[in-house]
Amino acid sequence: MELIERYLQAVQFWLPKAQKHDIIAELSEDLRAQIEEKETNLGRALTETEVGAILLERGRPVLVANRFLPQQHLIGPVLFPIYTFVLKIVMASYLVPSALVWIGRMIYSPAYRGELLSHPVPAILSAWSSVWATAFLAFGAVTIVFAILERLQAKSRFMEKWDPRKLPAVRNPNVVPRATASFEMVVNAVGFIVWATNMYAPVAMISDVRISVSPLWPWFFWGFLLVSLVNCGLSADSLTRPYWTMQRAIVRLLSDAAGSALFCWLLKANILTGLAVANVSPERAAEITNIINYWMGRTFPIAVAIGIVVAAGNIYRIVRLKTAGARPRLEAIAH
Amino acid sequence: MLDTVSLFENLRLELRRGSLVLAVLAALRHEQCGYTLRKSLAEHGLAIDEGTLYPLLRRLESQGLLASEWREQDKRNKRFYRLTADGTLILEQLLAERLDIDSSINEILEPRGVK
Repeated sequence: MELIERYLQAVQFWLPKAQKHDIIAELSEDLRAQIEEKETNLGRALTETEVGAILLERGRPVLVANRFLPQQHLIGPVLFPIYTFVLKIVMASYLVPSALVWIGRMIYSPAYRGELLSHPVPAILSAWSSVWATAFLAFGAVTIVFAILERLQAKSRFMEKWDPRKLPAVRNPNVVPRATASFEMVVNAVGFIVWATNMYAPVAMISDVRISVSPLWPWFFWGFLLVSLVNCGLSADSLTRPYWTMQRAIVRLLSDAAGSALFCWLLKANILTGLAVANVSPERAAEITNIINYWMGRTFPIAVAIGIVVAAGNIYRIVRLKTAGARPRLEAIAH
Repeated sequence: MLDTVSLFENLRLELRRGSLVLAVLAALRHEQCGYTLRKSLAEHGLAIDEGTLYPLLRRLESQGLLASEWREQDKRNKRFYRLTADGTLILEQLLAERLDIDSSINEILEPRGVK
């Protein structure tokens, strides 16, 4: 039967050289025995369609051959979760900065923005083609490294050697480490003292530079002083109660929001009104003042973005505290 | 929605997989060729497709639990398998293990002293 020969030849193609004749001889014998039995039952020879149906039932040649092959994988189940984790980190640490650079160009480069708006498809393709090329390269490099690790793991079983005592301590994001609280306390206290003692006057002398600021300055002075004072209080509270409470998380959200709003306003307020520098003409000093104000204004979107990220972090903390009571903590489970 | 039919089918196949090794070893206490082995297992309610049976026979042979030889029967060359001495020992251990598992499961289902 030619159909059987063709089927066996197709299976044989995928089999390892050393075993192919043996396996094919056995499969051939099994097939012929099955056909012979059917023919005896029917009292006639099977038609090609009936033989085809038997072969169809046995499965596609490559799948039949595959069952005789040893299980193969590039990265096995032991390393696969670590592989996907590393891949996510590598991709995030590459794609996120690339996206930020692209957004930055959109905001700060009128020429680029103009090009993008007039020819959006070619501009987007040219911007992202190099990004994707590098992303694929990174993906390939990580995959090759893990494929090599997989081979080493298969030989040395290094993943099976581990020490439970070296596992990281149980993480509780609602705990404020004393070191962090102390550091924040010192930074806020020093900031408060420096701000309170040096920044009140609307005219300041730094070395031989005389800096004048806008009449709006008292708003910023008292505003930042208040934020700094609140942060000092929060850090002190964290030292005595080293865990986040709902009340403190809300105060922190308000304090950070106020600080961000003040800072964004400061950037847009044309805060510098004059500079007087020895050996620099008043025209040049005015020019420098305008440049500083201009660039402070240009950084406004970045400050807004940072403010939003900080606020999102604070809101996440509040939500986490709100839901923490509903779930059992790991420490409680361990005890 | 939970697909209980396919879930049961998957778990049933998982449960049967280990039992098939046991059934093949038990059936090969008497020498048989692949085709007659498949038929005899099917007659006993343990149908196994050839794509599973032949790779399994090869694996058990490479592990030294089975031995095989090509011989002519009814004017056709056939490969006959039989259990080796190591295979017999492993079969006994596996049967004892299965009895232990059965008895543990029965005890879980009907704890002692509970009626």
